Order: sequence, then structure tokens, then C-alpha cells
Amino acid sequence: MKTTAFTKTYSRRMVLSLPELTLPEGKITAVIGPNGSGKSTFAKVLSGIEAADGRHPVLSGVSVGYLPQKSFPFRMSTEKNILQNGSDPARAAALMKALGIEALAGQSAKKLSGGETARMALCRILMRRYDLLILDEPTAAMDMESTLAAENCIRAYCAESGCGVLLITHSISQARRLADQIVVLHEGRLIEQGDTERVLSSPREAQTRRFLEFFGV
Amino acid sequence: MGSSIRKAIELILSADPELLNILSTTAKVCLTSSILALVLGVPVGILLGAERFPGRKVLLVLNRTLIGMPPVVCGLLFYMLFSGVGPFRHLHWLFTVKLMILAQVVLITPIIIGVMETFVADTAPALRETARGLGFGRMKEYRLLMNECLYSIFSAYLLSFARAIAEVGAVAMVGGAIAWKTNVMTTAIMMYTNRGSFTLGIALGLILLTLSLLVNIVLSVMQGRLSR
Amino acid sequence: MKKIVSLLLAMIMIFALAACGQSAAPAPAATEAPAAVEEPAAESAPVEEAAPAEEPAPETDALVVDTCILKEADDAMINNYSLLAVNPDAPFVDADGNAVADVELNTVGAAALINWLLSEEGQNLAANYGFEEYGEYLFYLKDGRPVSTAEIPEATEETKHIRLSTTTSVNDSGLLGYLLPIFEEKYGYEVEVYSAGTGKSIANAKMGNADLILVHSKKQEEAFIADGFSYVIDGMETERLNWMYNYFVLCGPSADPAGVKDAADVKAAFKAIADGKFTFISRGDGSGTHTKELSLWPEELGITAEAESFKDYTDWYVSANTGMGACLVMAEEMGAYILTDKATFLTFVANDGVMG
Repeated sequence: MKTTAFTKTYSRRMVLSLPELTLPEGKITAVIGPNGSGKSTFAKVLSGIEAADGRHPVLSGVSVGYLPQKSFPFRMSTEKNILQNGSDPARAAALMKALGIEALAGQSAKKLSGGETARMALCRILMRRYDLLILDEPTAAMDMESTLAAENCIRAYCAESGCGVLLITHSISQARRLADQIVVLHEGRLIEQGDTERVLSSPREAQTRRFLEFFGV
Repeated sequence: MGSSIRKAIELILSADPELLNILSTTAKVCLTSSILALVLGVPVGILLGAERFPGRKVLLVLNRTLIGMPPVVCGLLFYMLFSGVGPFRHLHWLFTVKLMILAQVVLITPIIIGVMETFVADTAPALRETARGLGFGRMKEYRLLMNECLYSIFSAYLLSFARAIAEVGAVAMVGGAIAWKTNVMTTAIMMYTNRGSFTLGIALGLILLTLSLLVNIVLSVMQGRLSR
Repeated sequence: MKKIVSLLLAMIMIFALAACGQSAAPAPAATEAPAAVEEPAAESAPVEEAAPAEEPAPETDALVVDTCILKEADDAMINNYSLLAVNPDAPFVDADGNAVADVELNTVGAAALINWLLSEEGQNLAANYGFEEYGEYLFYLKDGRPVSTAEIPEATEETKHIRLSTTTSVNDSGLLGYLLPIFEEKYGYEVEVYSAGTGKSIANAKMGNADLILVHSKKQEEAFIADGFSYVIDGMETERLNWMYNYFVLCGPSADPAGVKDAADVKAAFKAIADGKFTFISRGDGSGTHTKELSLWPEELGITAEAESFKDYTDWYVSANTGMGACLVMAEEMGAYILTDKATFLTFVANDGVMG
């Protein structure tokens, strides 16, 4: 799967300008970078929620699923929320069980805590097969146990469906655990791209090195 | 005042025919106008809240102006339009329940639009991001949005009903407070108080307050139910 | 939300407490019992039982009305009621002053109602109205009044609705509520009564919203006719059909501090009130009663309907701008003088100053 090069002007006159990118099918690509580097904007443009400058298409002919940072719980039970995106109750039950929210199935989704909402939202988006699944910090609100369970689910989904996953994350360790390749963004530019091991162990760019040092890598 | 209140309660308990007529006219006017306003106001409010299009800001300012329109101004306008010498005289609507309903629809539709617009403008962006992210179509997106709106539709309705039932300026002007025909609770209170007769006024006041209390109880109960 | 609910609850409780507290005081028995038969007229149902032929007996109850009639049956105080049919070809104009030719009026219905009110049956009913309830006649038939013997047509779908614009004092006296159902029953019409002060009531007719008017202000009626808004219906001689009258009465506190009882005539009585600066309640609403009152003040005071004209008299001249009944309640409470039509005053007294 290839994305075309694009530019996108976003908050405070920052410009996101990216070259052509290849997102391999059946692989997980992690996007890392400091706050304001354009990660979320990148996800929104790819998913089509926001248009690139000049409105030209960035990805065409593929179905894209996008899980925003704060996913919206619809005014219905947790289970019904999940079943909005597919009609297989068995799959929904399995996902809820895997993420430890099976006890909350009948509860109003509006009453869930932040972490529970995040798990519900992940279950919901994993109900359907997309060609490309974009997850914007899916585990930011979760505790460690849930995070690991969520990572297992994402990995399994990617392997089963053979689709591409783009994971935006703040956690270098999560990128190391999950991703096959890493894209590093800085001030709206792609500064480094490569296999996870290679980027994390011997980054080529000074900016990447500085960013990783921050996390004690 | 005590003996007046006692007489008023006796009047209510004795099912005084004029009192009953006033109540049924009030119910007819307020229920019809609030339901019409709901049917008109909810779609418009949701569209204004959910969509971004040129002229939207102008419409919002216009709507806010209409919300602030004094009922007597609205009443005067319709009195002039439907008077025997007005442009719509051939409809013969002045001093009828029909024109009272029309005037109230004009008064309360903006309230419903305002409530819906505020709620939807708050909710729609997050909901839309999630729904589009899931790959849902526009129809499904609107269905989910309507589902979110249920409580605000409900409270907008009660708010507009409360305004309709408490409103006096417009209905007095276009209805003429004609006994047995266009006299509603508020105009009757005004008429009887002018006449110096307080019993019926107090009886109607008690009923209005009780209604308002019930509406608010229902509202607070439903808030818990529907916002889930 | 909870705050609103509790606020409302509190208000209702205050209402209830006030009710209980008051009713507990006079009658130590049950608070609810509506059948306070032993009690004087004060507590009984307003109309039916207040009838006993004599005047409201001077009970030693706190509720008895102190305001009483001090001056009446003066020629200057005659209150003439007239019927005027609205002319369908009147020079109606819209809000911009453009002529409107096709104003639709129910001339047949208006003529039917006028003919009935002026028939022997209608006149007798009006003349006897009130005697049973108040022990006094409220309206008198005028000598040389127009009388109708015309056949009254049954209502048809087109002529059924009759719009009568009248003054509050006519409506409040209960006369129309007594007469109209009889007429409606007999001929199948439906009379819609719009009641406001004479000024507003005539303005309403001038905008084409009434088929006939029943008012009591000669000056304004004559202007209405002069402007071409009325016409002579078949079988009548004039536009202004003045068929009944009653008296305005000057009322005030029984102690009568201004001594109006001993004044030579009504004008002298009004002068005494103004000279002594005794509180006077004026309708102040452009009604027929208000118009009459304005004509009774000494000319040098210069009191007119304009607020400007009485700004120096605000220490005693109260312009209430409300209905007759509400003004009477005010006068009773303030121990003030007041000009009122007799019918409303008698209703007021019969109900112990509460007006129903």
C-alpha cells in the first residue's frame, strides 16, 4: 500500500509535508515523534477525516479504519456500541473477553471510565476488516495489563486479516513490542524510517537520537 | 389571600365548566404549537449544529434574535397581518385558536432550534470523527446523532411547552381572550385580575405551578434515563 | 435542575401554608369543609346565596366592604349604552394608510343581534337583569329608545359567527353572559365577545375585526360615525342605537372625609376631593368610565388622559390603568374615592370586595 506525497497546513501555521510512504500489508507501522510533530494530523489525513492541501487524495481504493485518540461512546450499551460495527456477537464477545470488559457488556457506554471506553473503542474498531487500520494512541488511557491485552489483540488482528496497521504511539517500548517498522516525525517532516530494531538501536538522524534519549533508549 | 386560595381549590374540585374550557383551549394551543415547533425545529437545529455551510453564522444570529423577540411584538405583527384590514384577512384567522398556534410556533421554534444547535455543535464533531473513522455512511452517522439527541429533544420540547403555556402577550393579542373560544390560562388570569376577580386567577395559577412542577420532575427523572 | 424543582416545591409549600394558616383562623373546624353554611355571606359561594332581598347586611365581619356609594343619580352621571353596526363599506385603511375595500363583515349576523337586543324580549331581559342577584336593577331602558319588530333570520353557515367588540364594564357586569346564550340557543348564532376599554374596542372595530360594537362613550361613538364606520341598519333611524343606560356612581370610604355626600352636585364633589387632595383612583385606561371621570374634574386642574396633565397631582390622583374591578379593590384597600358604573360596584359589594 502506497500513500502519495502530500502537504497539510495545521494548527498554528505548522505544515505537515510528507513524501510517498509504503505501508506493507500484514505489518504494523509505528509512528513516533514529539508532541506537535504532526502525528495525529497525519492519521487524520490518511483516514480521510481531513483533506490534504489541494484536496488531492492521499490513499485511494482502500478501506481505512481510524480510531481517534478519544473515541466517542454512542448512547447505548457497551455491547451494542461494538455491534454497531459488525453483526457477529460471538466475535464481539471474544474481543470483550480478550480486553477484560465482558462484564460491562450490558452497561451504558456513557458510564464507562476512560480506560474502559478506550477498550470498548478498540473492540469496536477491530470488529471489521479494513485494508488499513489507523490507531491513534489506542492504549494511552489504559493500565499496563490492559495495554498488553490490547497489543495482543492488535497483533492478532493484523496477522489474521493481513491488513496494514498504522499505530501512532508515545511509547517507545510499545513500538518496540508491536511494530515491524517505525516512522519518525519531527516538526511536520518525516526524518527517519526503517525497521524497528534498526531505528531504535542505531538511529541515523540527530533529531531521532535526541528524541530517543529522552526515553532513555 | 387564604380565603381566595380556598375558593380557588373549591373551584378546581368542582370542575367549573369555564375553568375546564380554559384548560382544554390551553392544552389544544400549547400541545399543537409545541409539537409543530418540535417537528420544524429539531431538523433545522440538528442541521445548523452538524453542518458547516456559508450563511450558517447569519442564520444563528437571526435565530438568537428571534429567541429574544418579545411575545407582544410577535402578537402585534400577527394582529396586523390577519386583521380585517390586513393582507391575510381572507383567511379569517384573527381571534381563532389557529392564529394563536401560529404565533406560538413562531415564538418557540427558535428556542428548539437554539437548544438543538448548541447540543449538536457540541456533540457532532467527536461523533462524526468516530463514525467516519469506523467507515460509517452519512445516513448511519445521522442516525447515531439523532440517538445522541434524544434527551435534548425531550428537554427542548418541555422547555418550549413551558414557554408556550406561560406565554401571554402574543396569545392575548391574536386570540383576543374571547371567553369559551380563545381564552387560555394566562389570558384568563390577566382578564380576571383586571376585573378584580382573583379566584379563577389563583385557581389557574395553582394549576400552572403544579404543571410546571410536574414537567420539571419528569425532566429530571428522564435526564437520568435518557442520557445513558 | 434539582434546584429548580426544590424552588418550585418551596413555592407551592408557601402557597399551601398561607392557605392553611388563613383558613384555620376563622373556622376552627375542618380546613377543607366547603360547606360553611353557618358563616355569613362572606364565606359562602359568591353568587347564589348573596341574594336575600335586602342590601348586603352590615355584618360585623372584618370582610365587609367599607367603600359605599356617595353620589348617584345625578344627570351628569348618566351612562348611556349604544349599539353600532359596523359599516362594511367603511373607509378601512391598512397599517400603511392604504384603503382596503374588501373587508368582510357579517352584516346579517350583526343586524340579527341588534334586532334581537332591541326586540321586546331582549329589552325585557336586559331591564330585569340583576334584580334577582343584587336586589337592584342594573340597567334601565331609555325613553324613546329604538324598538325592533323585525323578523330575526336563523343562522346559516356564513352568518353564524358574530363578532361583538365591547367594553370591559359591559362584559364584567355579566349582562352579556346572561343575554347571549338565550339568543344563541334560539337562532343558532355564536357571538364572540371581544372586550377591552372603549378606546381599544373601537380601534379593534376600525381594523375590521368586529361586526358590531356595544360601548358607552358618546363622544367616541360620534367620531366613529362621523368617520363613516357605522351605518343605519334596515328598520332603524340612526347609526347610534342608544337603548339603555345606568348611572355612574361616585364611591368612597363610608367616613367620607371630603364630604362629597353634602356637595351640591357631582362636579362640586369632585372639586372637594381635589381641594382636599383625597386619594382618588382613576381607571386611566381610555375606557368610557375614564372618559366620564375626566369630564367631571374642575377645568382649572387640566386633567386629561395624558400622563403629563396630572404629574403634579400624583400625591392623590392614582392612574391605575386597569379594569373596573381591580380599581375597586384598590380603592377599598386605600380608602380612596372612585368613579364606577353601578353594575360593577354592586357585583363588587355582593362579593364582599373580592369580586368572585
